[in-house]
Amino acid sequence: MAQLRQDYAEFEKRQARVVVVGPEDARAFAAYFQANDLPFVGLPDPTASVLKLYGQEVNLFKLGRMPAQVIVDRDGMVRFVHYGHSMADIPENSEVLELLDQINTPVGEK
Amino acid sequence: MPRVSLNTPAPDFTLQNFQGETVRLSDFKGQADVLLVFNRTFT
Repeated sequence: MAQLRQDYAEFEKRQARVVVVGPEDARAFAAYFQANDLPFVGLPDPTASVLKLYGQEVNLFKLGRMPAQVIVDRDGMVRFVHYGHSMADIPENSEVLELLDQINTPVGEK
Repeated sequence: MPRVSLNTPAPDFTLQNFQGETVRLSDFKGQADVLLVFNRTFT
């Protein structure tokens, strides 16, 4: 999350919104977002409805939910999916930003 | 467990943000690309 915060200006430049979904309740979200000055949309999902819809894995042996990232373009289509296999397995910002650039490059200019 | 697939419509959902406002994924349609981050717990 700190990694995303660092490059938030780059996401803004691309008019992309970062939406964080997690199993914590609203109070935990508020505390974490305020403590870390996160400008993202924070969506508590205590019943894990969306987490299940998107297939976020729970790894009982590693005690927790594995990170996952999905890019949804302006047409509502899934353009990138990354399911982490460990807590640290998240894509680099540069990779995500490059994908956003590709998505927003008009056909013919690629 | 279902997983989403590339180049298919993203499953729409509605949740309240931590400020209590209703947010729908489809609200961003036509407005912005969205990076959905499914986080592990904060602690």
